[in-house]
Amino acid sequence: MEFRTYLIRRLLLLIPVLIGVTFLIFLLLQFFSPAQRAMLYIHSPQQMRNLDLIIAKYGLNQPIWKQYWTWLLQIFHGNLGWSTVVGMPVTKAFASFLPATLELAIFATPLIIFTGIFLGTKAAANKDKLIDHITRIAAIVGWSLPTFWLGLLLLMVFYGFFSGFLPPERLGNAMDAVIHSSSFIRYTGMNTIDGILNWKWDVTLDALRHLVLPVITLTVINTAFIMRLMRSSMLETLGKGYVLTARAKGLPESDVINKHARRNAMIPILTISGYLFASIVNGVVITESIFDFKGLGWWAWEAAVNLDIPSLLAFALFSAVLFVITNLVVDLLYVRLDPRVRLGASEQ
Amino acid sequence: MAELVRINNLNVRFHTYEGVVQALDGVNLTIFQEETLGLVGETGSGKTVTGLSILRLIMPPGKIEGGEIFFDVHGNGLVDLLKISEPEMRDVRGSQIAMVFQEPGSALNPVFTIGDQLTEGIMLHRRHEIAGLAIDTLDRRLADEKTAGFFKPGLVTTRQVLRIVKANPKSRLVRFIQRTPLARRTLNGLRAEADKIAIAMMREVEIPDAARIMKHYPHELSGGMKQRVVIAMALCNNSKLIIADEPTTSLDVTIQVQIVELLKKLKLEFKSSLLYITHNLGVAAEICDRVAVMYAGNIYEVAGVVDIFKNPLHPYTQVLMAAVPKPGEEPRAIGGSVPDALALPSGCRFHPRCSQAMDICSQICPKLAEIAPGHYVACHLFQGEQSGTAH
Amino acid sequence: MTGLKFFLHNLKKNPLSFVGFTVIFIFVIIAIFAPLIAPTPKGQFNAYMIPRAGYTTVPKPPDAAHPFGTTEGQYDIFYGVIWGTRTAFIIGLTVIFSILIIGLTLGSISGYFGGAIDEIIMRVTDIFMAFPSLILAMAVTIALGPSIKTIMIALIAVSWPPYARLVRGDILSVREEDFVKAARGVGSSHLRIIMRHVLPNSIYPVLIMASLDIGAVVLSAAALSFLGLGVPTGYADWGQMISFSRNWIVGTVHNPFAYWYTVAIPGVFIFFFVLGWNLIGDAFRDILDPRLSRR
Repeated sequence: MEFRTYLIRRLLLLIPVLIGVTFLIFLLLQFFSPAQRAMLYIHSPQQMRNLDLIIAKYGLNQPIWKQYWTWLLQIFHGNLGWSTVVGMPVTKAFASFLPATLELAIFATPLIIFTGIFLGTKAAANKDKLIDHITRIAAIVGWSLPTFWLGLLLLMVFYGFFSGFLPPERLGNAMDAVIHSSSFIRYTGMNTIDGILNWKWDVTLDALRHLVLPVITLTVINTAFIMRLMRSSMLETLGKGYVLTARAKGLPESDVINKHARRNAMIPILTISGYLFASIVNGVVITESIFDFKGLGWWAWEAAVNLDIPSLLAFALFSAVLFVITNLVVDLLYVRLDPRVRLGASEQ
Repeated sequence: MAELVRINNLNVRFHTYEGVVQALDGVNLTIFQEETLGLVGETGSGKTVTGLSILRLIMPPGKIEGGEIFFDVHGNGLVDLLKISEPEMRDVRGSQIAMVFQEPGSALNPVFTIGDQLTEGIMLHRRHEIAGLAIDTLDRRLADEKTAGFFKPGLVTTRQVLRIVKANPKSRLVRFIQRTPLARRTLNGLRAEADKIAIAMMREVEIPDAARIMKHYPHELSGGMKQRVVIAMALCNNSKLIIADEPTTSLDVTIQVQIVELLKKLKLEFKSSLLYITHNLGVAAEICDRVAVMYAGNIYEVAGVVDIFKNPLHPYTQVLMAAVPKPGEEPRAIGGSVPDALALPSGCRFHPRCSQAMDICSQICPKLAEIAPGHYVACHLFQGEQSGTAH
Repeated sequence: MTGLKFFLHNLKKNPLSFVGFTVIFIFVIIAIFAPLIAPTPKGQFNAYMIPRAGYTTVPKPPDAAHPFGTTEGQYDIFYGVIWGTRTAFIIGLTVIFSILIIGLTLGSISGYFGGAIDEIIMRVTDIFMAFPSLILAMAVTIALGPSIKTIMIALIAVSWPPYARLVRGDILSVREEDFVKAARGVGSSHLRIIMRHVLPNSIYPVLIMASLDIGAVVLSAAALSFLGLGVPTGYADWGQMISFSRNWIVGTVHNPFAYWYTVAIPGVFIFFFVLGWNLIGDAFRDILDPRLSRR
């Protein structure tokens, strides 16, 4: 089907999913008192004094359908509620936490994907040799490590033992003061990039130093996963007829593997990318909470522990949107990677 | 006729977890220049392994463990392919010796176009030649477009690059250029020339609308078309030897006929030798000059095609011929079954199923001997006590 | 090769799987004999609550009375990890079993009947999958309060969609096979066809996924407890014990590793438990997947 039609169709499908996701949480919310749920509707501290009025105004004692509708209308007016955990409107909190998580994701995701694919390919190409065994064991170990345990262990060694070599949080105190000073312009909110743009390299370096451990923690489990999948996919591909044909043509082994086999082997990886995405989001929450890395994951965790409903809801909304967009991108990549697939065929 | 391939005492073993399989057991075979040799036998007899061995494409757990495979690589005498280096062997594969596989569907990579796959081999092995052609084309363009001064620097650079390619086609420098994104564009001319050769080849194999098909993907073609593409791929580099492993088995009968006719025509045109592996005696009769009969990892009879059908000497060959159903007759099956590869019978591998087996047959394995001019048989019936090795 | 022989042969081929089975076997023994290995103090009603040797915050190193030391709040680590084994098995097996049932049921219905039912069920799985599992689990835990049942419900809610999808996919491909049409032709009921013809063929990938997933489920449960959103405080659970160690990972001024036991020991238990299941899951996959095992 036509590309534009397809795109519109997929984006429209976003809506029922969002409705489903938010409704699900709404259902769960009913376990809370009206007072707690009222937090969804206010956007300044002063309003907290008038909770009764708010409960009445938004009909928090009414049937769930009406409440849900009221809340939806609210969202369209741009009000996502008040976050008790950080004491600011949810929308503002979201905007302030997004860059941190983005930074983490930008460093970690390519690392995960490329390392996973590279090592998986190497392992399959050298099956049963030393590099294969090492990779397989590393993959199994990595996959069995609890993320939070790894994070804590890393902190214990690199922060505790090496006295603060790789510290938690996003920035040290000194650099923190710098970025909050008036001469520092926040272009993106991401410390590494802002540091470069402001021509303050020490900020960038410090930010990088703080990123090392969280990125490693986030990467290990997910790389292990991709590695194993890539290896088995590659092994299956190497048994195919066109690989033998490629060899019979006299192609150098590197071409056989990197050109002919790998592209076909990557196709199943696309299939699990939805799962990978979920895994990374989970990892972000845990990693940020361990390292006190104040991003969306950290915010979500604090919100959960402190029963901050509006924040949780916002986070859920965000992930749902991200999930659908990721799926869309994956489907488009499918078409590009595998000529046998036509747009819309993967919806089977 | 001069010899093109001579296989001496080839031994191939597969080390599986269930045990060691002796796939080829001292195979001796000769292929002459410009002849079509049929390699006939039941499934599991080792025909495909023989073909793959010539190309040194036996992968673990299989291993070539003994013997020699002589091939006339440079036109001046036989060289043992098993002793040359891997890069040298790669030069042979796809250019001097090409292979056509059984399943055309799986022989083609689904993510690349037909054009990509056809030109791949050409650009790899005929680089010197197409670089020359590309330079000629470029020269013509430079001469014509004196007015297109804007493009000239680019064109001249490209020409220089192509000259380097022509001078030293397989050098590191060329490989480097192939990999660098912008520099790669200078090599587009090579692809254009390769495309021309590919299209010409497709016309040879009677693929209609060749230029358009070049842009298609394998899954868009029918089985017969795909097999023609695979044959075209094999012919692209004017190989001296083409190994065809059951090229028609997976196709419809009507297409089979077409492909066989095509192969006969190409055989005359291209003057390469053809090793035609099949279990179908009828096709072998159609297309081969000589036929070798294979059983359980060894060759038991070799003769001219007329000879072997009119006068099969080895008991196995006789039974094979008799098993082909003729109109009006009852089909006659061969008693027994193909031996378990892990536990081959001692002596002559066929003796348990042989109606004329003698005592010696279970002890000593017979060797090929010339019984009549050009007619070789490995059987104790014709050799007395002389030759043979104990197994 | 017949079943058992094939199984043992593959075990030989894959020594790591043998390690997996051994490790899990050891854990099973620990779980079964927990009351003997780490007896519950007299008078304590709920065996799963870790006994406390006082209320001071600073963890104490291993000694005679507490073989693995105590963690923050003086919870006995030894008791905690031994009984934590039981918790892990309970959570892992219950959740996996439940999602197998749910996944098989919904997946079969969805795949076999197709049409509107299929669409609806698939949209529902989409919605559940769009949720990052941790957040949904957190939301369920908040709503229902901390307890082991809550964790299990949360994890079930989060983990069932891939199973339903897998089963549905398999059924879609098996459904068109001739033997199913033949069964319909003979007049078999839908349920009979599903149970006798379709499921036996589709079940292997699901089993493989389940065996690989037990480790993941336990990891998620541990993560939830670590974040404080799982079991009640003081419950014998590995994840929670690690959360107690958070403030102590930097040790004292003189010795950064002073409180290593608070973080290392429970972590080692989780790691080997998950590792064991992963190795077993791998072994199952190698055995049950005919293409791979023919090497």
